[in-house]
Amino acid sequence: MDSAIAQKTWELENNILTVENQDPSSDSIFYYDDVAQAKFQHERPWANDPNYFKRVKISALALLKMVVHARSGGTIEVMGLMQGKTDGDAIIVMDAFALPVEGTETRVNAQADAYEYMVDYSQTNKQAGRLENVVGWYHSHPGYGCWLSGIDVSTQMLNQQFQEPFLAVVIDPTRTVSAGKVEIGAFRTYPDGYKPPDDPISEYQTIPLNKIEDFGVHCKQYYALDITYFKSSLDSHLLDLLWNKYWVNTLSSSPLLGNGDYVAGQISDLAEKLEQAENQFAHSRIGPLVGPSRKKEEESQLAKITRDSAKITVEQVHGLMSQVIKDTLFNSVRQSNRSRTEQSDPEPMVEA
Amino acid sequence: MASSSSSGLTFKLHPLVILNISDHYTRVKSQMNPPISSGSTTTTNSINGGDQQQNQLPPRVYGCVIGVQRGRTVEIFNSFELLYDPSTHSLDRVFLLKKQELYKKVFPQFYILGWYSTGSDAQESDMHIHKALMDINESPVYVLLNPSINHAQKDLPICIYESELHVIDGIPQLIFVRSSYTIETVEAERISVDHVAHLKPSDGGTAATQLAAHLTGIHSAIKMLNSRIRVLHQYLVAMQKGDIPSENSLLRQVSSLLRRLPAIESEKFQDDFLMEYNDTLLITYLAMITNCSSAMNELVDKFNTAYDRHSRRGGRTAFI
Repeated sequence: MDSAIAQKTWELENNILTVENQDPSSDSIFYYDDVAQAKFQHERPWANDPNYFKRVKISALALLKMVVHARSGGTIEVMGLMQGKTDGDAIIVMDAFALPVEGTETRVNAQADAYEYMVDYSQTNKQAGRLENVVGWYHSHPGYGCWLSGIDVSTQMLNQQFQEPFLAVVIDPTRTVSAGKVEIGAFRTYPDGYKPPDDPISEYQTIPLNKIEDFGVHCKQYYALDITYFKSSLDSHLLDLLWNKYWVNTLSSSPLLGNGDYVAGQISDLAEKLEQAENQFAHSRIGPLVGPSRKKEEESQLAKITRDSAKITVEQVHGLMSQVIKDTLFNSVRQSNRSRTEQSDPEPMVEA
Repeated sequence: MASSSSSGLTFKLHPLVILNISDHYTRVKSQMNPPISSGSTTTTNSINGGDQQQNQLPPRVYGCVIGVQRGRTVEIFNSFELLYDPSTHSLDRVFLLKKQELYKKVFPQFYILGWYSTGSDAQESDMHIHKALMDINESPVYVLLNPSINHAQKDLPICIYESELHVIDGIPQLIFVRSSYTIETVEAERISVDHVAHLKPSDGGTAATQLAAHLTGIHSAIKMLNSRIRVLHQYLVAMQKGDIPSENSLLRQVSSLLRRLPAIESEKFQDDFLMEYNDTLLITYLAMITNCSSAMNELVDKFNTAYDRHSRRGGRTAFI
């Protein structure tokens, strides 16, 4: 019974809705009602309220596809499109597909190259029974966090003018693998000149030094949406059964080995930030009158650095814990063997 | 029809394929049976709709699986849908080629390895599709997913079939033979599957919840390992007592498994392991020093702000 209560608590905390309305097996979210969708398109309730869409629901399949595609790009940014529909103030992402273009950081209209691909793919999809339209685009920021860069902001503003409703999603595959949880963010931009009524509270994330300017300049021009995930009843059933085979991979994963480069990069970035903070401190000593406001800024910078270092450490310690557990499980057999069979046994078969 | 395969190929299946097939099936089923909307006026409809659902057979969906074949290992990475007309037994070739071209642009290293379908068992008519695909890949694989949800089932309802030429009644015929497969994954895939399946915390949370989540994952995996070993243990005890006839090949396998422990025993491993351990401890130390210096800095600033009245001279603070 305990586990059932614990599961309910998890589900509540993380806004995971199993797809059920009245009938637990209906999977009604998968039904595409094009009449209702066309009506919604016609009404355009988002035209008056820039903050109209507040939530995003992503299907398990779309998430898996996006993360795998982002990771397959390695350190190169990749992008793709998402298909789905709208539902009141939520955008629902049912599926995603990759586009054969690389890197959006240097080109604003990368999508022009991919239009032909997009049209072809959408046509074949409609034939195959996937009736949804394109509702957004996703791209990856390998290693530097989920936010919109200047180019991304202009691309998204263009999209929101001509292809509404449209959503921008950013995935960081490197941080996903390093932290062991999915790093993803969904954003919509404000139209030019619009000032949001209240400052949205966004979750803090560390940005490397070479990108922090780009982040700071544009961070007020868009807002983040809440992300929840959903899966069908068949998906849940299959995933449960998959665990029977999957536990091997969980146990054998070694995050420490895979992420050495990334962690080293993070630490050197932290060192640079520390130097910067230190220089600012040195300057402030000379002018105590300039004092109070600048001091606050530096304090928060040092606090940020502390938080970053704590985060890196926590990830490392998690990785080390896995390694120690595996070592205890599989390697400490020889101690008990040795104590029992010291005299006459032959040399152990496992030689270096 | 389902003896075990003798081709010697090993199959590796990625979870993405499983989710793809499941999603395709759910979509088609859901479009066929529109959801019953809420409202009392539709209760009569819902009764009819319920009947209708029971009368209609669950739809069969068809698609292609793509991946990489390296030597004797066949790794299935991804899949896409196909159009198939069951009445005329015709596969839409144009569609297939178009889709293949699109996927080649994005994933240039994947080839068509076979096809998939849903249902409870492989059927005779499936051989038609199989033969149709043989001109693309001379030995396609057939992945069959059973979409009926049966909670008593412990195993994945997925079978992989290969085709083999057997002589039956003097006529060489192609029949399906079953093959075994393993689930293969990359780290990113594993994390997202874990995320969706086990409801891990979606945002940062505190360090305590992250730690709890991480350890819970490992704990469940170890629990599985433990239960599997228990099963083996019970089996061996029963064999020793004589309840079950002893089977030498199984005993050999168990013995070779036990001989593989300890997993690694060389000195180089110990060195590397301890080095990694020390590295992590160093990072922890570094983080603590940063934390302490930040706390000290705050203390100094607060002290200065509190006692600023007393030292107006520039450059000289009250506490050095």
